[in-house]
Amino acid sequence: MTELAVLAKYPFLNDTKEYIKSIGLSVEELLSHPLYERARTIGIERLDNALKNTDVGDSCVVTDSDCMMVVLSYPIARMVAVCVGDTYFKKRYALGEAYCAYRNLLDESSLFLLDAAKELGLHAGSIEEKQQIRLYFKDYLRFAPTHYKEWNMTNRTIDRGFVTVSQKDLARIILEVLRKRINDELDARECDPLAIRMFSEDIKRFQNIVSMQKKKMEAAPVGKLSVEKLPPCMKYILAAIQAGENVPHMGRFALVAFLHSLKLSPNEILKLFSTAPDYEEDKTRYQVEHISGKTSSTEYKSPGCDKMRTYGICPQEKIDELCRRVHHPASYYSAKWRQEKEKT
Amino acid sequence: MPENDASLQKTLDFLRTQFREYYENNPIELPDRFGRREFAFVLFGGKGMIRHLAFPKKTDFTAFLIDRAPMHAYYSSAYYKKPDASTMQEKQWMGAELIFDLDSDHLPNAEKLSYAESLDLVKKEFKKLVEEFLLGDFGFNEKYLDLYFSGGRGYHAHVKDPNVFDFDSNERREIVDYITGRNLQDAIVFKEHVTGKKEYHGRSFASGKSLIMPSPDEAGWKGRISRGVIELVDEIARSSDPIKKLEEYGVKQTDAEKLIQDLSEDRVKRIREGLLDQSKTIRRFFLNSALRKTAVSLAKGETDEPVTCDVKRLIRLPGSLHGKTGFQVKKLTLDELKEFNPLNDTVVLSDEPIKVTLRQPFTITMNKETFSLTEGETEVPTYLAVFLLGRKIAVLF
Repeated sequence: MTELAVLAKYPFLNDTKEYIKSIGLSVEELLSHPLYERARTIGIERLDNALKNTDVGDSCVVTDSDCMMVVLSYPIARMVAVCVGDTYFKKRYALGEAYCAYRNLLDESSLFLLDAAKELGLHAGSIEEKQQIRLYFKDYLRFAPTHYKEWNMTNRTIDRGFVTVSQKDLARIILEVLRKRINDELDARECDPLAIRMFSEDIKRFQNIVSMQKKKMEAAPVGKLSVEKLPPCMKYILAAIQAGENVPHMGRFALVAFLHSLKLSPNEILKLFSTAPDYEEDKTRYQVEHISGKTSSTEYKSPGCDKMRTYGICPQEKIDELCRRVHHPASYYSAKWRQEKEKT
Repeated sequence: MPENDASLQKTLDFLRTQFREYYENNPIELPDRFGRREFAFVLFGGKGMIRHLAFPKKTDFTAFLIDRAPMHAYYSSAYYKKPDASTMQEKQWMGAELIFDLDSDHLPNAEKLSYAESLDLVKKEFKKLVEEFLLGDFGFNEKYLDLYFSGGRGYHAHVKDPNVFDFDSNERREIVDYITGRNLQDAIVFKEHVTGKKEYHGRSFASGKSLIMPSPDEAGWKGRISRGVIELVDEIARSSDPIKKLEEYGVKQTDAEKLIQDLSEDRVKRIREGLLDQSKTIRRFFLNSALRKTAVSLAKGETDEPVTCDVKRLIRLPGSLHGKTGFQVKKLTLDELKEFNPLNDTVVLSDEPIKVTLRQPFTITMNKETFSLTEGETEVPTYLAVFLLGRKIAVLF
């Protein structure tokens, strides 16, 4: 059995799940028994930290009882996240858990990393004589942040289907696997009625924070941009970026070019991006100014619906009646404005 | 004699008859997951493409080919729950093979080459794709690779490894970027190496720097670029007119002269040992030229997006005939590819002589026979007639 302190750091591991099972607690005990009050407090802390710092944070673990409380705080936090019932909130929480694991994994041995990777379904192995890690290219493509140049496969060594990665790279890839896995798990769960009752105040508080943030985002003084009138594709990309998801390069490009075509200044565009957890002002500013023609000879045009489809960034399941009538995201946006004018 | 509707009709009828005869006598092997594929056809004289067809039974399919004798036959690289539904949403995508389409049109300088020369060039490119990238870097098992001559100006590779079926468009694009060497950063390939040190006041400073190339047997792009550079240097060193050779690589004459001056025997030896010098122009030149030499040019679809990225692409049906050449879309093994000459090995139509009228003189070696044809009426074997008519070099009166 893995040490309790390790389980507390990585509550998503199978060993942790086994351990929780072995305690034999019912949901009711976990959510209401005074003995687990501390686990519940830490659980709520996890959610608060995820929202505030994009990291659920480490709780102080000295004794075995500390560890146990931290381990149990994980299922509690998840239950509450499901009950808050907001996509953005769930995404932020999933990222917070994944980021925390990533931070801790950076200090682990390569053997530990490899075991964790395998447990999460990655096909990874080591090249012993070179102390390198090899990852199957499919896993690499799926989870590595390839929208960064240095992560492009071209700039990596790949041989017989396996990409050579460093320990840090593997930890970063695990972050992505976890983020996606936790998010999917939260999406698939139903809210537990007892959890609503026990945490009604916290749930309400989180819902308020989220709606405040959303309002702030919508009302963000970005020129005259009306987020409501954005076509589904742009809404989707914007939401994904703000939630800190990996958006493919083409998606980022399309959004910037689109916003630029609406006469938003680079500063205003940057403001929209700034809520993303991996936001780097310098890099983003450079890219935005490049696309908008400020620092380059070309002013890039925003791609039309055809191109958006080819690049796989037209969300087929979200398109609406108006989408079917237009051929360009910009015409969607102006049509929305016209519709509103006609109403008033 | 002026060309008119009657001669056009006659041409179409002739071609259709030839194709029908072929389909009657040569049953087409059906692609796997046959019932899950969408089929599409272009008919002789028809407008546009008939799409969204599915054939639940093999006999239906064979009957269709014989009945309609299509000019072009396609099937989807994707498979669907309902392949004959008319919208992509209703079709319900289940997965798709990974397709590579190499066409001589997309090779540099292709327009200057004859049909046979361009076919040769694209074959070299195709071999590079298959051996270096698909089998080498990506490590696909040979049993999952199906190779085809397209019947026109290129080759197709279908990767049928179940691991690739669920790749989305972005993941496919990443593979394309890799194969075309996009975004390759030279700092990753060429490493700076300090060759000398000087000391001032007890601190040491680099006094000389040299660029180190990776060893040519390293995996991935690192070794590939080194191999490209060495090949390039050898090529220039061996050439009787090195300046002209460099100009072919797009180097301006003045730069070429300077480069040749710089490339002393000693330098060449050093480069073979992996040492490049600091000069930025030389480094740029070598990286770019070696990249162009070793990367693969892939064909672009209508949207200027490589065919590979499309998860619902229609591709030529193996075994069918290409309507513009009369050649068979032929499956090849890697071994067969080496000796393969499309102008001999995909001729499947009869050699019955027939009279056609050439619009211009034309020379071609086909089915191991060289034809030097002059303008005007001439008698040629049927397979050549189909080729000439399909490519609009000749008409039928």
